Amino acid sequence: MNQIMNTKRLDMREDRMENAVWHTGEKSDLSIQEKLNILTDAAKYDVACTSSGVDRKGDGTGIGNCKASGICHSFSSDGRCISLLKILFTNECIFDCKYCLNRSSNDVPRASFTPEEVCTLMIEFYRRNYIEGLFLSSGILKSPDYTMELIYKTLYLLRKKYRFQGYIHVKAIPGASPELIRMTGFLADRMSVNLELPTAEGLRKLAPHKNRKNILTPMRMVQNGREANKEELKLYRNAPQFVPAGQSTQMIIGATPDTDYQILNVAESLYQKFALKRVFYSAFVNVNQGRVYRNDQEGLLPVQGEEGPPLLREHRLYQADWLLRFYQFEASELLSEDQPNFNIWLDPKCHWALKHLEIFPVEVNRADYHTLLRVPGVGYRSASRIVKARRIAPLTFEDLRKIGVVLKRALYFLTCNGKMMYPVKVEEDYITRNLLNTKERLPDSVSGITFKQLSLFDDVSFQKENLQEVISG
Amino acid sequence: MKQLYVCEDSIMGIYSAIYDAWKESRVEGDNGIRLIGQFEGELFCEYHIVEETTHKAMAVEAMMKKHIGLDAYWDIYHALMSPAPDRADAVLGVMQTARTLQDPRKVMQFLSHPKVERVFELSRMVANEAHFFVEFLRFRELENGILFSEITPKSQVLTCIADHFANRFPLENWMIYDKTHQTYLVHESRKHWIQVLGEDLNLEAINHVSRAEQEYASLWKAFCRTIAIEERKNLKLQRNNLPLHFRRDMLEFQAGSR
Repeated sequence: MNQIMNTKRLDMREDRMENAVWHTGEKSDLSIQEKLNILTDAAKYDVACTSSGVDRKGDGTGIGNCKASGICHSFSSDGRCISLLKILFTNECIFDCKYCLNRSSNDVPRASFTPEEVCTLMIEFYRRNYIEGLFLSSGILKSPDYTMELIYKTLYLLRKKYRFQGYIHVKAIPGASPELIRMTGFLADRMSVNLELPTAEGLRKLAPHKNRKNILTPMRMVQNGREANKEELKLYRNAPQFVPAGQSTQMIIGATPDTDYQILNVAESLYQKFALKRVFYSAFVNVNQGRVYRNDQEGLLPVQGEEGPPLLREHRLYQADWLLRFYQFEASELLSEDQPNFNIWLDPKCHWALKHLEIFPVEVNRADYHTLLRVPGVGYRSASRIVKARRIAPLTFEDLRKIGVVLKRALYFLTCNGKMMYPVKVEEDYITRNLLNTKERLPDSVSGITFKQLSLFDDVSFQKENLQEVISG
Repeated sequence: MKQLYVCEDSIMGIYSAIYDAWKESRVEGDNGIRLIGQFEGELFCEYHIVEETTHKAMAVEAMMKKHIGLDAYWDIYHALMSPAPDRADAVLGVMQTARTLQDPRKVMQFLSHPKVERVFELSRMVANEAHFFVEFLRFRELENGILFSEITPKSQVLTCIADHFANRFPLENWMIYDKTHQTYLVHESRKHWIQVLGEDLNLEAINHVSRAEQEYASLWKAFCRTIAIEERKNLKLQRNNLPLHFRRDMLEFQAGSR
């Protein structure tokens, strides 16, 4: 009798588990449209929406392929690309991170998808060429393991049932068991763990349920997994691939008082020590402004006024990030302890060049690739085109323009066959002044009438010292 | 005297013209190619009307692939898909230039040569446009399950994007209609794609969408609205990344439902 009871109870438990995996939380009456609205809205602050890093042809048995360059399918009204179906699996989160809209203490509409719903939505969007794949992130439902398992289930269905071979980017949930992350990694193209804030101290203050160790552990795991997988692939060409497009992370910029120098150093060490593919920067938008709770300390987060999120700062960080990844720069070259933040007016490359005028101008027909990369206005593509084209014939400025060099910036730093494009001075002030004119404009010395001629009051000797004399006298 | 070969505005016409011109002189500047209806008369030159044959076209294609390599041929093919009236002339110039180089396969790196530069520019333009349509093309599901799409490209991009979509949707029946050039790309499930010319579109069939289509279209429109962050609104950046002329065929920028 007792035994029978026991087996019955066991059956019931299994039943419940089955249900739990397939129907998360309480059954909700929300329509797909409502769920999509809630969970898209909740996911929009995640910045990584790239679909790049892996080239994979479809095998003809299902749907989808991947292009290494990545494909953007649309652009939203904030100008950011829409490449992947970027949704949260659920926003029923048990964590209480101060900067997040879905923190457990906020009163916002909550919803959860089921794995099957995500799959149908994703496949139907994909076959209409709306999207390039899936970006699945999630709040923490019940426990990290439980959430990760649901994510795994979704990916498994997509890959095996629907034979989907397109791009999948998935979040590794900090605190989930290594085995689950490993299994998910074999189904995903890219995995990411959000670093959230550049410093451990900031994290402790703003995200009480997260800590640096929990975030770095899965990151290290993915890195080790990828390295082990590389060895496997050498032995067995058709071994399953583990996170082939690499891993990425994101940091929130401007929520804590960290300097650009600190942030860039963190990014650099992530690239070097964790072999990350990308670090994303997300200008902090204070979504919880005006929501005050009893347990909240005041003044934890900056108040945002008219000027909005620090977009320019984010932009400068991305520019510097590109310099680290493609232009062989190091963080210590761009910023220092004494000068910990980027110039508002000039991009980091121009800024660096102006501080190193001793190596300029460089000769286009002779300088090596490495030096060409450091010239403002020369990108890595035009640099490689220059190197190839000059083998056949010497290049002129007109050729450079056609090759794709941005001459309005580059002309101060280049010579072709020993001559500069215009008679310009290689002087920091002079070049800065001209570079700051954002529109295409010839330097003063070329365009007949100069500012100096126009201004009656602009006396050359009217220097700072003289000014003081005038004022005091 | 300069010899000018006049041909139809089609791949076969242009290849035939190259064949004729090549036969007479392989020195750049001796001859050129003009497209019917797309040139102004010049003095001091002789005009020849080119007779189009498949044989000529095949011979030129084989010659190009053999002597300048597939990479350069890729550029030339893309350049020929552009609407520029001087494209055939530029391609002829590139081939004549290639002969003078030690390694003709590197001709596309000779960017300081005006004809090479022109072909490079055109090929980049067409390849970029083709990539835009890989990104921005939208399919709709018709009542019979066929995925249908219309685009309005400047260049003839259909053959440039065909392999991509054939590989991506091998099990689907799909069709892309190029409204500018009235050509179609048709793909039947598990088969190779084909290009179709000179057919009329059944307007009734393409406007009957399946029942699910309405729902997914509105889901997609809602998604595009929701994903934008209000605090970061930047319409200028959006226009930079996604120019207005692409939007007329894009679902998420069309008012109302189909």
